[in-house]
Amino acid sequence: MSARTPLSAIALVSPVQLMIGGIIFLPAIYVFWLSLNQSSFGQAASFVGFANYAKVLGDAYFWKALLNTVIVVAVVVHVELLLGLGMALFFASGVPFRPLLLAIVLAPYAVSEVSAVVMWRFLFEPDVGMMSRLLMTLGLPPIEWAVNPSHGLAMVSLLSIWLHLPFSFIILYAARLSIPSDLYEAAAIDGASPWTSFRRITLPLLMPALLIAALFRYIFAFRLFSEVWLMTGGGPARSTEVMAVYLYLEAFRYNAFGPAAATGWLLVLASLLLALFYLRRLYREMFARA
Amino acid sequence: MPKLSLPKLLRHLLKLVGVLAIVAWSLVPIGLIAMSSFKADRDIFSTSGTFSFAPTLANYEALWSRWGDFFFGLWNSFLVTVGATVLAVGVSLLAGFAYSRFASRGLQASAFFLIFIRLIPPIVITLPLFPVVNWLGLNDTHFVLIVLYATFFVSLGTVVMRTFIDQIPRELDEAAMMDGASQVQIIMRVILPMAAQGMLAVSVFVIVYAWNEFLFAFIFTTTKAKTAPLVISEMIGAVEGVEWGVLFAASTVQLVPVLAFVILMQKHLVAGLTAGAVKG
Repeated sequence: MSARTPLSAIALVSPVQLMIGGIIFLPAIYVFWLSLNQSSFGQAASFVGFANYAKVLGDAYFWKALLNTVIVVAVVVHVELLLGLGMALFFASGVPFRPLLLAIVLAPYAVSEVSAVVMWRFLFEPDVGMMSRLLMTLGLPPIEWAVNPSHGLAMVSLLSIWLHLPFSFIILYAARLSIPSDLYEAAAIDGASPWTSFRRITLPLLMPALLIAALFRYIFAFRLFSEVWLMTGGGPARSTEVMAVYLYLEAFRYNAFGPAAATGWLLVLASLLLALFYLRRLYREMFARA
Repeated sequence: MPKLSLPKLLRHLLKLVGVLAIVAWSLVPIGLIAMSSFKADRDIFSTSGTFSFAPTLANYEALWSRWGDFFFGLWNSFLVTVGATVLAVGVSLLAGFAYSRFASRGLQASAFFLIFIRLIPPIVITLPLFPVVNWLGLNDTHFVLIVLYATFFVSLGTVVMRTFIDQIPRELDEAAMMDGASQVQIIMRVILPMAAQGMLAVSVFVIVYAWNEFLFAFIFTTTKAKTAPLVISEMIGAVEGVEWGVLFAASTVQLVPVLAFVILMQKHLVAGLTAGAVKG
């Protein structure tokens, strides 16, 4: 590999690099600067060091939002991977009308967060929604998502799983299809039970795809905003806020740009931390070839 | 009909249950609002009216006469989606070609940067961008959404394009180069026709994202460039007595084109997701 980059290559990658550099990277760095200053919209900034971080870390609502985010992300990602894995194996075992069924599974991918909120609110509308009535018929307690914070978060989780299951499913199904079938035939000849071949063949070979899907879903679930904003608005009494909603409110409702920026930078750090292993492996792989 | 043994019958039955569960999970929420959009108000929540009702277009008429904003929002969504897709696919094609055909330490580092950048949450950059966008007078314009939507998909787009272009034999560009074609001519005449699959895959991502996006539209648009999801969110919020019927009509109109598109483009969506996830 050459040390110098040809001019034409630089020209070809520059639009992409300028876009992400100018619109994502530089602003993200600037957020760090903002987080060290006391400022609000249309007001000159004054340097305050880490005071904004202290303020945010001393705010009970921040910790509430963080806890909510961690719980929702953990539930959403793991349930989603489990369902996705189950569905991928189910599809691989042979299903009738496969192309049609695949299209049906992918359908929620096309649905906007806004419409998904409409759908699930309607299903769980107190007393009259289809699911509320079903729960009532089964003698189960109703989901009071508008008044009970944990029910609200459960609705948000359900909605998120529904919207993003197609992604996890596709990644896992594609990985499952790339496992050569002679492995299973050999295992069957050796008298392996389905459970043994799942544990010894399927699971180890799916592990890379599972990790990739988990990583992407952790990072994206961590950004959760619209579902919460449109379902509960963070209420009642700020009890269902997640990190992105907390940041939004600090910045655009309370005009506290400093604390909002500190929250933002903490979000960036958390995302980087989540992806650290992946980034390190990727870095090694890329530069090992160099 | 051949005789089935009991375990086999049981397995078929289980499979059927599985299929039904999958169909119900995916389609009930969508089907229910699509169906209910044709119901009169009194049928929407009635137990007996779930399937037996007299279909009516009243909700669509109400949507048309009272929420003209929504159709304006659809038009804005359309413009923004087309703009973001053209921009994202175009620049991803160029960069994907460079990463596929050239290699150097600088390029390697910039490829790493592409992936690294995906870790920054969109909400974080709204903080510094909001005042800048205001100051430039770009608030509430299609332009701002087009650029933002495209930017958040160029890194995935580039990775996907690179994966697809890697599969085009280099001999083809070398032959064109011998004939005296420039870099740009090679991309336009050799790569473009053969990378169409990859470009379709990238456009599926961008189209679905741009058509449905809420956060940036919510922060950066108010009236002139307001997109359809934003209008629907206002319809949810405008109401403690939600006008469900009209809301269903709006959700259905917003959903149908993109759903049809995803189903048509299923193959490309799957190919793009796997190329993008495996490689980066």
